[in-house]
Amino acid sequence: MDKPSQHATSMIDPTLLARVVQGDQQAFSQLYDHSSTLLFTLAVRILGNHDEAAELLQDVYLEVWRKVSRYDVGRGTPVAWLVTLTKSRAIDRLRARAARGYRATSSLEAGTAAQVADPGPNPLETQADQELRIAIGAAVAGLPQAQQQAIELAYYEGLSHAEIAVRLNQPLGTVKTRIKLGMSKLRDGLQQWWTHGELQ
Amino acid sequence: MTHEELQESVPLYAAGALDRSERQALEAHLLSGCVSCHAALKDYQSIAALLPLALSPITPPHSLKATIMADRNPAPLPAEAASNESARQSLEPGEWMNHLFPPVAPARSSSLPWALGFATLLIMAVGGYFTWSVSTERSVTTSNIQQLEASLKETSTKFANLQREVGDQTQSLAALRNELQQRTDETAETKERLVQREAELEEMRVQLSQRGNTRTVETPQDELATLLRVPNAKTVSLTGSDMAKQAAGFLLYDSRTQKVWLYSINLPESPAGTTYQLWAIHDKPVSIGTFSIDTGKAAHLLVKKVPSFVDAKAFAVSLEPSGGRPQPTGPIYLLSQS
Repeated sequence: MDKPSQHATSMIDPTLLARVVQGDQQAFSQLYDHSSTLLFTLAVRILGNHDEAAELLQDVYLEVWRKVSRYDVGRGTPVAWLVTLTKSRAIDRLRARAARGYRATSSLEAGTAAQVADPGPNPLETQADQELRIAIGAAVAGLPQAQQQAIELAYYEGLSHAEIAVRLNQPLGTVKTRIKLGMSKLRDGLQQWWTHGELQ
Repeated sequence: MTHEELQESVPLYAAGALDRSERQALEAHLLSGCVSCHAALKDYQSIAALLPLALSPITPPHSLKATIMADRNPAPLPAEAASNESARQSLEPGEWMNHLFPPVAPARSSSLPWALGFATLLIMAVGGYFTWSVSTERSVTTSNIQQLEASLKETSTKFANLQREVGDQTQSLAALRNELQQRTDETAETKERLVQREAELEEMRVQLSQRGNTRTVETPQDELATLLRVPNAKTVSLTGSDMAKQAAGFLLYDSRTQKVWLYSINLPESPAGTTYQLWAIHDKPVSIGTFSIDTGKAAHLLVKKVPSFVDAKAFAVSLEPSGGRPQPTGPIYLLSQS
């Protein structure tokens, strides 16, 4: 990673992607520096394994390099595009692995709450990224444990509400309500933070 | 699924908790243009995209960047080639990105870089939204233009058809006008011919009339027939005397034309040097005319014009020497009865 501290992950300039489309290798290098930590963190969270996450990132960046011309700025920020792509590919890999009967390290055992509760300052992060990360972490940590768990099972493990209900041995309606309420609180909390600079 | 159910599935969609069929149902609903569900999804997905930021950052291995930079193809694929790739199992990033926008809200922070950071994020989001909006409007406008073009084309076709019909009708009208003119000409011609025929007819009538008059004069039989129809004609019958008992005569006198007609039968042949003479007797006999009876001839018609003998009381025919006599000298052969 070259000088990542100079770039905020949440503020990747769409023109950087436009330069990547032109085959600009320096731009691609900058894109990696902006996003690789966030995407690697996401991949490790989903796959529970650093080596596999590294493999996944190889695939993802290759796909980004090849398909960058498909990125449409009108459809979202570059970061959102990269996060969504990485999450989709990671869950594909997770499902393929489940089909082979391989049981990964339990995500639940990884202790997401602990990760959120102790974000810790990262010397390579910009201040903007750090503050946003803290705000979102706080919003997630502020959710009741049951709601947080249901959302994370869906988001990081790619489980449907029915699968979550089975996993947690809870009624389907309860699981749906937990996810709905949790997402609703996250939305309201972050909007409040964007509007007033503080969480509810 | 009802709209309420679809609306409630929006946060589940953003979290990735819907199964495939539910996800497809909601996507179809969003494509149908539901504004409220679209807005809700935009909010929820902007949150979902930020969730990984809540995780403790894990730095990737240093070797990874070098591997990735070395693995790349010489150049990114063009959009056309990329879009032809086979579909993946999970949702394509592009589908997710349809609704990925952070909530539109002013950034406020105690620190300037923070505020700047969020202002930039906001500008990007708003810019992105406007780009998306303009792109949508452009596609709608293009669609409208295409519809208008189609409509224009259709109208032009109809107009051309109407023009053709009008052209046809104008031609028919011209043909009718020509026909009418022709008929009018024919009528005028016929009228002239009719007048000519009437003139000819009149002329023929005059000629016929003249011819008729001539025939009346020339043909005694016709005149006799006319005389018989005249009411004031005087009719006198004559009987044979002792000299010729079998002889008889019939005399007509028309005072209008002052003509005397004597039709005699069975008078004996007038011997050579003699002639029959008709007399009108008033106070004294007045000669009307003479006639001869040739051999073998039984009947004879004498027509004579006399000035006036209205008062004649009797008529007689005597045999006189040739050339006749002023007064009767020979024997009486026919004599009127009254």
